[in-house]
Amino acid sequence: MDPRIECHWLTSRRQFFARSAAGIGAAALATLVCEEGAAFADAASRGGLPGFPQFTPKAKRVIYLFQSGAPSQIDLFDDKPKLKEFHASELPDSVRRGQRLTSMTSRQASFPIAASKFRFAQHGQCGAWLSEILPHTARVVDNLCFIKSMHTEAINHDPAITFFQTGAQLAGRPSIGAWISYGLGSESRELPAFVVMISQGTGNPGDQPLYDRLWGSGFLPSQYQGVKFRSIGDPVLNLSNPPGIDGPARRQMLDELGALNELKLKELGDPEIATRIAQYEMAFRMQKSVPELTDVSGEPEHVFEMYGPESRKPGTFAANCLLARRLCERGVRFVQLFHRGWDQHVHLPKQIALQASDTDQASAALVTDLKQRGLLDDTLVVWGGEFGRTVYCQGTLTAEDYGRDHHPRSFTIWLAGAGIKPGISYGETDDHSYNITRDPVHVHDLNATILSCLGIDHTRLTFKFQGRHHRLTDVHGKVVEGILA
Amino acid sequence: MAVYGGQKMTRLGLSAAIAAALVWVTAQSAHGADDPVRFNRDIRPILSDNCFQCHGPDAVRRKAELRLDLESGAKGANEAGPIVPGKPDESELFRRISSDDPEERMPPADSGKKLTPDAIKLLGRWIAEGATWEKHWAFIPPMRPAVPPVSRREWIRNPIDAFVLARLEALGLRPSPEADRTTLVRRVTLDLTGLPPAPAEVDAFTADDSPAAYERVVDRLLSSPRYGERMAAPWLNAARYADTSGYQDDGPRYMWRWRDWVIEAFNGNLPFDRFTIEQIAGDMLPGATLEERIASGFNRNHRTNAEGGIIPEEFAVEYVVDRVDTTATVWLGLTLGCARCHDHKFDPVSQQEFYRVFAFFNNVPEKGRAIKVGNSPPYMKAPTRDQQRQLAEIEQQLAAADDALARRDDELATCLAQWAGQFRPPGPIAWAPSLGLTAHFPFDQKAEETLAAAQCQTKGAVTFDTGVVRQAASFDGASHVNAGDVAKFGYFDKFTFSAWIDPANDTGTVLARMAEVPDADGYSVLLAKGQLQVNLVKRWLDDAVRVETEEPLAVGRWQHVAVTYDGSRAAQGVRIYVDGQERKLRVLLDELNQNFGNAEPLRIGGGGAQAAFTGLIDEVHVYQRDLAAGEISLLATRDPVESILGSAPEERTPQQAAKLRAFYLERHAPEHIRAARARIFELRDLKFKFEESFPTVMVMQEMPTPRETFLLERGQYDKPGEKVSPGVPASLHPLAPGVPQDRLAFARWLVDPANPLTARVAVNHFWQSYFGAGIVKTVDDFGAQGDAPSHPELLDWLAVEFMASGWDVKGLQKLIVTSATYRQSSQLTPERLERDPENRLLARGPRLRLPAEAIRDSALAASGLLVERVGGPSVKPYQPPGLWKELTGGGDFEQEHGEGLYRRSLYTFWKRTIAPPSMITFDASAREACSVRETRTNTPLQALALLNEVTFVEAARALAARVMREAGQPDERIALAFRLAASRPPSDNELSILGGSLVRHLRKFRRQPEDAAKLLKVGEAPADGRLDPCELAAYTAVANLILNLDEVITKE
Repeated sequence: MDPRIECHWLTSRRQFFARSAAGIGAAALATLVCEEGAAFADAASRGGLPGFPQFTPKAKRVIYLFQSGAPSQIDLFDDKPKLKEFHASELPDSVRRGQRLTSMTSRQASFPIAASKFRFAQHGQCGAWLSEILPHTARVVDNLCFIKSMHTEAINHDPAITFFQTGAQLAGRPSIGAWISYGLGSESRELPAFVVMISQGTGNPGDQPLYDRLWGSGFLPSQYQGVKFRSIGDPVLNLSNPPGIDGPARRQMLDELGALNELKLKELGDPEIATRIAQYEMAFRMQKSVPELTDVSGEPEHVFEMYGPESRKPGTFAANCLLARRLCERGVRFVQLFHRGWDQHVHLPKQIALQASDTDQASAALVTDLKQRGLLDDTLVVWGGEFGRTVYCQGTLTAEDYGRDHHPRSFTIWLAGAGIKPGISYGETDDHSYNITRDPVHVHDLNATILSCLGIDHTRLTFKFQGRHHRLTDVHGKVVEGILA
Repeated sequence: MAVYGGQKMTRLGLSAAIAAALVWVTAQSAHGADDPVRFNRDIRPILSDNCFQCHGPDAVRRKAELRLDLESGAKGANEAGPIVPGKPDESELFRRISSDDPEERMPPADSGKKLTPDAIKLLGRWIAEGATWEKHWAFIPPMRPAVPPVSRREWIRNPIDAFVLARLEALGLRPSPEADRTTLVRRVTLDLTGLPPAPAEVDAFTADDSPAAYERVVDRLLSSPRYGERMAAPWLNAARYADTSGYQDDGPRYMWRWRDWVIEAFNGNLPFDRFTIEQIAGDMLPGATLEERIASGFNRNHRTNAEGGIIPEEFAVEYVVDRVDTTATVWLGLTLGCARCHDHKFDPVSQQEFYRVFAFFNNVPEKGRAIKVGNSPPYMKAPTRDQQRQLAEIEQQLAAADDALARRDDELATCLAQWAGQFRPPGPIAWAPSLGLTAHFPFDQKAEETLAAAQCQTKGAVTFDTGVVRQAASFDGASHVNAGDVAKFGYFDKFTFSAWIDPANDTGTVLARMAEVPDADGYSVLLAKGQLQVNLVKRWLDDAVRVETEEPLAVGRWQHVAVTYDGSRAAQGVRIYVDGQERKLRVLLDELNQNFGNAEPLRIGGGGAQAAFTGLIDEVHVYQRDLAAGEISLLATRDPVESILGSAPEERTPQQAAKLRAFYLERHAPEHIRAARARIFELRDLKFKFEESFPTVMVMQEMPTPRETFLLERGQYDKPGEKVSPGVPASLHPLAPGVPQDRLAFARWLVDPANPLTARVAVNHFWQSYFGAGIVKTVDDFGAQGDAPSHPELLDWLAVEFMASGWDVKGLQKLIVTSATYRQSSQLTPERLERDPENRLLARGPRLRLPAEAIRDSALAASGLLVERVGGPSVKPYQPPGLWKELTGGGDFEQEHGEGLYRRSLYTFWKRTIAPPSMITFDASAREACSVRETRTNTPLQALALLNEVTFVEAARALAARVMREAGQPDERIALAFRLAASRPPSDNELSILGGSLVRHLRKFRRQPEDAAKLLKVGEAPADGRLDPCELAAYTAVANLILNLDEVITKE
């Protein structure tokens, strides 16, 4: 990026306030208010970069349903009928090809193949094969694009999920949502551009932890961090006034605070003071808008029915899906859900069925709901985890039970909505769902594609840090043209 | 935090901004049409950013064999290069950059880079002016520049000012007047201690109009213990210091002794060269002291991965890379890490040179897979100074006690001989040392043990047969004794098992606390094809210790076996003795990472899924300590006491004599000798327990045989290339000759006066903490891609001065804060803002929002809640409930009560993956990686934290109570609260706004006293019951407002 633009970006806000410093007050604050609906004018007007988006975007926003722990593609999406024949036989070296395994199974004496114990069937016009534990997803397959040839570099959760979110396995880089906030700014004047919500699955409670860095801003300024909406306590940390301070008292206080800060602004002329006054007003607006957003009592009955009974329980995946739709309606740019519990090293059949029942109905409902409201036309939905799982069994293989270890070499995710071809399947794996045989899609490719749907050339969204113009896709990434509508 | 639409800007603002940015660029480079183009200032940045990627130091990616980062490459021999000095038209470089042909034009379109017309013009001018080359400024050792002449000499307080003023005068600017005294004392107090001045300190300074008044304040602040705490804060960010390990489960670790070393080093004004050497290689200094070894923990502060299933080799590499990156960033301001996968694209560091530096840090006896909970080896006990004093006392007492018993040696020998001659044992004596003995199974016709009340049950056919002492238990390979809940040991416990065994075959479990199913966790001692094997298992294959004797045991005869474990969680902590002799062990697994303690019973003769024991087992002793070899020898001495007694003294073996003596000492020696001995045991136990309570700290350590280092192709751990030896980049000065080329030599090289970088980088860091930005703004990058210094001569002067002063850190701080430059008012005028929005020229003083920790600390200080005590374990103040649990599913944050709530923020427990939210909201580094650049944002989440977070509301409550107690009238109280927070009295206007606020709040609370009661319950500090609750609540609301003032969280 042109260093002058960077410089401008760093100084512009100050410049604006400098010009207004003489008489800033209520009038100046009014100009800070975003004009709603000025669709996709230059992002600089929303706190993003000048010249962004760089081309007409298909998607205005993203809902990313991250399935943390790595769902088994073999038991959900990547049907491999031949595995029934291979069941319990040793994974051939010709398939494994000496590739590395985690140290949890690399010392196993044998690597018996475990066919999925779930039935697969074809669904929809597109005829997508899907596991019996995803009955609701089956009803929306014609809206989905499955990528069956995802692959990644990391073999363990922490580096792998960090890689998905930041384009690097080690901590320190900005997350995808932070990059997008930095590039495109916010469409909302009362909500953050990047919101994160967490839920715990029933399949493997207490498994893989999550980390703030997954929605962190890395070396970008911290204002681009994702804001976590919580289901316990305040939805946003410190949102509520302290006990005993009610709304009118807070308003009174903010008026007095504003008046005092303005005195100082007049005296010193530092535009940071004007910004601070504006941020207190924004905080005040959030105190109103966030509870309105999270109060779903006004949603009609049929909506709860569509998302399933869990959608009434705050903090569940289903409730978060419903909130994600509400956030999108209010212009939030990047909503990311993390659903934990997919790490099925043992007792996979039992655990994954529970995980699927946590997520299936609500994921499908979200797609349907967005579609019904016309939002799917400009919202991109992504569903997937940080890697796949092995075809060979971890632990003891029995007639009813098996486990699967981490498998970064191939796995499935799905996308839906703005910019994406509906009802297709992209990429293929071999008969063991072990190696990719057609159209591999790397994590960097996926991220490049998501940015592309938002009208961003992934090679041009950069930030100079420690001498390098860093980007989400490092020096890699190819937009997956084959899935673009 | 996030981007909010509230930060909108008009089109008008945008163009004004660009115009200002251009003015600024001009101010920065300061060259006009007449000023000759300078390579380092004007040309290198253009070449580096646009050309070096393909025509730079990286040999692999270099295109067309052209190298533009070297003069020889750019000019070639005999004007054969792409640059012909003096002749832009004949220069291929100029032709290509100015060509209209897209095929020809450089940089190529697909590079994403584009030269501006101004840059092309500048390059042309530079070639026309002779294309004079300069080595990159940062690689030329600084020379002390002459202090420049200036016209306004009266403004100068020290040479810093001359450099700043010279630049201002050259641009026709004037410095700002000195800040008023209140502002100044607040600024310098915040800068040197991280806390605002007390009103009395402000008064003292404003009342003292002697010329030395300010210097006296500075000296007072520099000698305050708060100074070290303040200076440590940014150093902890740089050192990626935290209280957890950082990956996946992110378990706790204990590095606070290192943190306290840093505070102590700053407070003791440890010269920066020593500060450097001790942190890089303190462990290698001759006769390294405890403190020097603790210092080396700097390079163990990086994240470590304990995730199950990781490939340890992969992460072992990452740790070393982190050390290289961090060390290079912190001391050299170089992005060495860029050369991990390929030659550096911009700076003269080859990939091979990266791995030569890597080799210095690659010699630590560590594992890629770290310990999940606690410190990973190598670590050491690191008693605090208090503990060291107390330990010395105990040791003194112990020496005296040892001495007291030793003085009885002759007497003891006489008594013993006399007793042995007379003593007639009433019957057989099966004696074993009693200290720490928790269970004893004599197996004399029944399975019961003699100490615990636990009931033993037999499973299968356990019979009793002739044993070593009376009977022994006999097992048939399908039976065992279930001893119940005894020997409940985990991986931090020390323990010993001792038994006599007479195995009938070479395989079978002697004892175990392990379920009888495959892959169960727990511990076991068993015979595996003859070898005696010990298993400590959380998860088979990858979370276990397994060791066995190299030599097999005999089958079909009695032998004594003993196993000790020292609680170190490592294979080396297990010892196996056979017949009293320690045996050599084979380590089969050494990857214990989680506690193997479980709820299983202790089984003797069985347990686990391995074969049960066949043969005889007798005299099982369980100790909850790891016995020393001499004690094992007593247990392995088969002869019962009565038979030793029966033999002639001269016929007794040394083992027999030792056993007899030990028995006598424990049971029959004269009272005063037994008392003397008991005193020794008591003191030993005291010492042991005291040492157990010592904190530990991870430190650097060298392996006796250095690990080989290889260049890693594409930076990958599993792609070793050529072997490399330790060394430094050739573009920098060489290592000192004639000494081992090791980490210590590297540490000394860092602070060698010939090093062009370290002193510059260090003074630049300090400069940043006062002015918000370094003289080199890219404090983490002094390479070709970094920003040029705003005041190059000043930077060099400071660097040279710093070294010449003996790296006097306090001296440097004093120099900066006593300069006229620092003392300027931060008042802005539209002109000053337009001319220099970022204050790079320093025509005014700094006005900056406080760092995260200072914001919280200031609120605590103003309210009087702050508990000041230097150092100690990290504390857990308020945090919204559930923050850890919702992300980890595991244990939640357990908030402290009492003093832990009110310590300075640098003592707050820092969990890397879920950092304290208010700290992060105010731009603290997450401590996952080294961070030296300061950033400041201004967001609504900051407003919400200051308005509503418990800490700040409680501080407001305490501040309100304080001013109600300390002042009488409402306006006096408000004025005092204002002074405590902002250091100055409020103006009449301010006072009237605050007074109005008080009245309105008071009226409301009087109407709704239940609201007052609620507000007064925020936080755990008790409310002052003597104060009227409605009044206190109203003052709390006003204090809350005051603590939210922009000025209060700002240094101006």
